[in-house]
Amino acid sequence: MIDVEHLTKTYGDRVVVDDIGFRVEKGEIVGFLGPNGAGKSTTLRMLTGYLVPNDGRIRIAGVDAVADPVSARRSIGYMPESVPLYPEMRVGEYLRYRAELKGIRGGQLSKCVDAALEKARVADVRSRIIGQLSKGYRSRVGLADALVADPQLLILDEPTAGLDPNQIRQVRDLIRSMAGEKTVLVSTHILPEVESTCSRVLIINKGRLVGEGTPDTLRTTSEGGQVLVLLARSQRSQMVSVAEEVEGVRRVLDAETPADGFARLRLEVDSGETTEALFMAFAKAGLPLRELHREQTSLEDVFTNLTTREGEGSPDTVEVPETPLDAEPSAEPKQKNGPEGPGTGEGGDEADGGKA
Amino acid sequence: MRAAWTIAKREVRAFFVLPVAYVVLTVWLLYFGVVFSLLAEFFSAQPGAGRGGGLMGAFFGGTMLFYLPLLVFAPVLTMRLFAEEKATGTIEPLMTAPVGEWSIVMGKYLAAMAFWCALWAPTLLYFWIVSGLGDDTVDHGAMGAIYIGLLCAGLLYMALGLLMSAVSKSQIGAALLTFMALGALFLIGIQSYTLQDDAARELCEYLGVWSQLGTFAKGIVDTRFIVLDLSIAALAIFVTVKVVQAQRWQ
Repeated sequence: MIDVEHLTKTYGDRVVVDDIGFRVEKGEIVGFLGPNGAGKSTTLRMLTGYLVPNDGRIRIAGVDAVADPVSARRSIGYMPESVPLYPEMRVGEYLRYRAELKGIRGGQLSKCVDAALEKARVADVRSRIIGQLSKGYRSRVGLADALVADPQLLILDEPTAGLDPNQIRQVRDLIRSMAGEKTVLVSTHILPEVESTCSRVLIINKGRLVGEGTPDTLRTTSEGGQVLVLLARSQRSQMVSVAEEVEGVRRVLDAETPADGFARLRLEVDSGETTEALFMAFAKAGLPLRELHREQTSLEDVFTNLTTREGEGSPDTVEVPETPLDAEPSAEPKQKNGPEGPGTGEGGDEADGGKA
Repeated sequence: MRAAWTIAKREVRAFFVLPVAYVVLTVWLLYFGVVFSLLAEFFSAQPGAGRGGGLMGAFFGGTMLFYLPLLVFAPVLTMRLFAEEKATGTIEPLMTAPVGEWSIVMGKYLAAMAFWCALWAPTLLYFWIVSGLGDDTVDHGAMGAIYIGLLCAGLLYMALGLLMSAVSKSQIGAALLTFMALGALFLIGIQSYTLQDDAARELCEYLGVWSQLGTFAKGIVDTRFIVLDLSIAALAIFVTVKVVQAQRWQ
């Protein structure tokens, strides 16, 4: 559905998007991650034809988006980042205008508008003036606009920004409900959003693609492995000595005594298999575990790790290899984050404001 | 071009929803009402004065009072077109709709022409008033010529305003640039009174709007002016399309 090769965009002599390439297959829901100013919006704006790339090729549904932008745009429903709308129009009137602009005519017009109002849950405000709506409603009107012509591909730039938790869940549910039926490319920097909605993730930093894969593969291929949390009625030292005996445990991250007679460990382990080994080891040692779970924040670690590297060369894309653990490639860049950090002064992420 | 029609409809609706349209129309009608009644008084006191077109001829292009407000009102009509969309960001959904730049520009131009016509439509009442009073100087041919002249001037003014709105980031900037462009045309027209050289004077007269409406108000449909207006307008629209296309390169 989306096929991008060597995409590059420069503003003056500043490279905002630097030779990135990726594919999004039909029916996929892909998260587009990156810190602010990484070039997310610029990339999406090139896909939607708002900006022309300096170099590279974009194919949308088989159409060359640079050579034939109008046809390419026909397959896209786009929701821009800050959801700009005409404040003086009424919601229904606006969607009707947008549908007409997108080539929908006659009897189809009302049907499409009604369907979009329904899907984006804005039917109750259809005759309200947009300028008087709350931020949550406004962004859902933007979503309705993206949906109104029933496009094959949805490109959503931070669709949940400014929404309350309930609205965020509704938007997520809506995106998830389109899995298989539509292709969705959604940019965000909220990680739980990605974990709960996306089948695949692209991570971009400083205009380059630095990671690609499913949330799970990204988690396991990061050098962090997995983090397990264990709670048992025992002494800390005793638990640590049992855990360290188990094969696959890399190190104890921390240990604490949350309540009298209890100890909690956070362990970094190689893979899921180690969980069972730990269970058996603790049982054998006569220490029944009250709690044993995998810590869920590790995609955040992956993100932090990939986007705070200061590689002087090209930051190597994290492949998604069969062998889940190859700690070598990432061990080196990690050291560059260390105290000497030579590159930290020259290009803070914020200074990169790629959305100019 | 269907998209252009859709865009034009939205523009016109937006214009008439906002209070600015009514402020402009009110001030405009008030101003021209005063000018018209002053001229009417003058002509009733001196019947037979200004045989070249009579009262209506003098009203449309006979005096400075007619041109100066045009320099102010035309920019107000066009300043919003692109500058506002750029300031509020609505240009992004517009430019990512499956619509070409020509449709966008033509839609906005069409809307601007609708504003221009809305501005002049009430002046048809003046003709009705004058002929109702039994003034035999109302010449229907001259009246037609005046409106052809106004339409052509509008095509030119609105195209220049559209271009200035496309190159500016703010509405104020767009209005100022349009004011300056129209002011330059106006000053060129004024030059024709000061120049000694015949050829130069004729050129200035030809380029200035001043002499254009004056000529049409006498009932002369001078095609040179029409060609001039249409060609500058076409050029301005073409450049506008290029400017809008270039903004995708930022």
